[in-house]
Amino acid sequence: MKSIVEVKNFKMAFGDKTVIKDLSFDVKKGEIFGLLGSNGSGKTTTLRALLGFYEPTGGELLVDGKKYDPEDSSVTIGYLPEERGLYRKESVIDTMVYFGELKGLKNPRDWSMKYLKRVGLLDKANMKVEKLSGGQQQKVQLGITIMNEPKLLILDEPTKGFDPINRRLLMNIIDELHKKGTAIIMITHYMDEVERLCDRALLLKDGVARAYGSIADIKKEFGGKSLDQIFVDVYGGVDE
Amino acid sequence: MSSQIGIVTKFEIVRQLKKPSFWVAVLLMPLLIGFVFLISFFAGAENVDTTAHLSEDTVVAITDDAGVLPKDNPFNLYKTQDEGIEAVKKGDADLFFYIPASFLTDKKAEFYHISEGLEIFNFDGNALKQILSQYARMKVDELDAMVIAGEFEINDNKLTTTGEASNALGKAIIPFMILAVYFIFMVMFGSRLLMTVVEEKENRISEMILTTVSSKHLIIGKIISMLALGFIQILALVIPVAIIVFFNRENPMVASILSIIEISPESIFSNVILFLFSMLLFAGLNTMVGVMVPTARDASQYIGPVVVGSVFPLYFMQLFMATEPSFLVHFLTYFPPSAPVALMLRSAFGTLSPVELTIGLAEIVICSIIVMRIAIVLFQKNAINFEAVKLFKRK
Repeated sequence: MKSIVEVKNFKMAFGDKTVIKDLSFDVKKGEIFGLLGSNGSGKTTTLRALLGFYEPTGGELLVDGKKYDPEDSSVTIGYLPEERGLYRKESVIDTMVYFGELKGLKNPRDWSMKYLKRVGLLDKANMKVEKLSGGQQQKVQLGITIMNEPKLLILDEPTKGFDPINRRLLMNIIDELHKKGTAIIMITHYMDEVERLCDRALLLKDGVARAYGSIADIKKEFGGKSLDQIFVDVYGGVDE
Repeated sequence: MSSQIGIVTKFEIVRQLKKPSFWVAVLLMPLLIGFVFLISFFAGAENVDTTAHLSEDTVVAITDDAGVLPKDNPFNLYKTQDEGIEAVKKGDADLFFYIPASFLTDKKAEFYHISEGLEIFNFDGNALKQILSQYARMKVDELDAMVIAGEFEINDNKLTTTGEASNALGKAIIPFMILAVYFIFMVMFGSRLLMTVVEEKENRISEMILTTVSSKHLIIGKIISMLALGFIQILALVIPVAIIVFFNRENPMVASILSIIEISPESIFSNVILFLFSMLLFAGLNTMVGVMVPTARDASQYIGPVVVGSVFPLYFMQLFMATEPSFLVHFLTYFPPSAPVALMLRSAFGTLSPVELTIGLAEIVICSIIVMRIAIVLFQKNAINFEAVKLFKRK
């Protein structure tokens, strides 16, 4: 299968601090890829460099064979970043329609209303974003991220702060997109999500990949342990 | 996708138009102008009423110890100052003028009338001057009276060294008005552009928006929308002023200003072009400041120097009025932040040659492009930096 993302010998340093020493991996078209690691291991940095927010110190990061450029409409990307936010003073529907128009949707209002109905926010459509709870805002953000059925969906801790019901709802949405052929990169600390959803994963520690491959291969490499246990083993137990 | 610029522009315009604060800002100035106009209108009406009252119904009492008035006058004459004051207190007279014996040397008279509370528009003590002036005119011939009263006009015929009529002030009025509009635009537009640029970072939305639209399209869209809103604001200011001027064109002061206005196509064209390109430079500078700071509050401390630098030439107005530009004038003309106002001033005063205008315009355009490009790159690279950009690294 062809790769939609290729990271080759990626290196990233901020001043004296090296965050990524040497990282290479790829994400195949249509697969769900888990990017794993503890806080500060460089997962978000890698994604930001992939999307052009950081200039890599070394190596190259390609999306569909090219350096990512939002002006290049051949690759549609949906990105739910770690930093969450929306235009607080705007209504939910106006915000969604704005993004929908920017993403080239033919009828963004209809799409948004259907989505809001699905996630139980239809009655909040005309409400200002700032009046919504954190979880409700996150659902709106997710809607914005997936509204154009992107070729590549990047989710940085998408279920953070969600209750089990909304986590399940989100997983269903991700699953639907996956079935439509969207490649998904997911950063998460929930290993059960990774085992259930991801085709392949990469475990990042100290700026290098400690495990990389299919979930089954990674488990096999670590003696058949669960991903949760592998994570603990790689990071050397829990700091007390 | 240039359509994305249009989408950003529409979104920014609509959301600003929905804000009550925008309309307060738009309507505040015209309302203030209208208020001042109404005050002056009613003040004028009040004065007219007072004069009419004085000429028809007012009972005027006078004690003339200096003997200025002829004996056959229509006023109630009182022998002493105290009698006159008593008459005012009793209501027998509306006004009482006391002309003391020392009037010729002291040049002072007294005016008494009842005034309870704060009465701004009331009887005018100058009525005595009119009364005395009328009687004095009777004693001299018409020509002498006119000369003494200075009731004649002197036409000011300014000539250039080539003998043509010179009207530098009249020619400068319209270019100056364009400069004034630029100034208003700077004050109103700068902070709004800054806020809208900083907003993405303040709302932690930069990453989402910048994977949807390029920083170039986003910034261009924002600038276009702010320019459009600025023009709405300017129209809201200019139209009421134009209406007021139109309906007061017979007013002596307005008429005298209108009469000296002379259309100077070169200066007007130069300032319009300078205005348009200067807006780009100013927008670029504001955007650059906006992308370097995490919040609008942080931006305010950096934008001050930009505005001060822009209006710096106004502090040296006298130098700009000189026909031979000094070194400082040349420096300010080509120093990028001050160039727009300096060039517009010199264009208004007619001291800007076509070559200097071309160089100045080219400089503004080049600087605008450079500043804008830096702003776009910084916007992309600094989108996820929620701290102010450090210009100088601490060792």
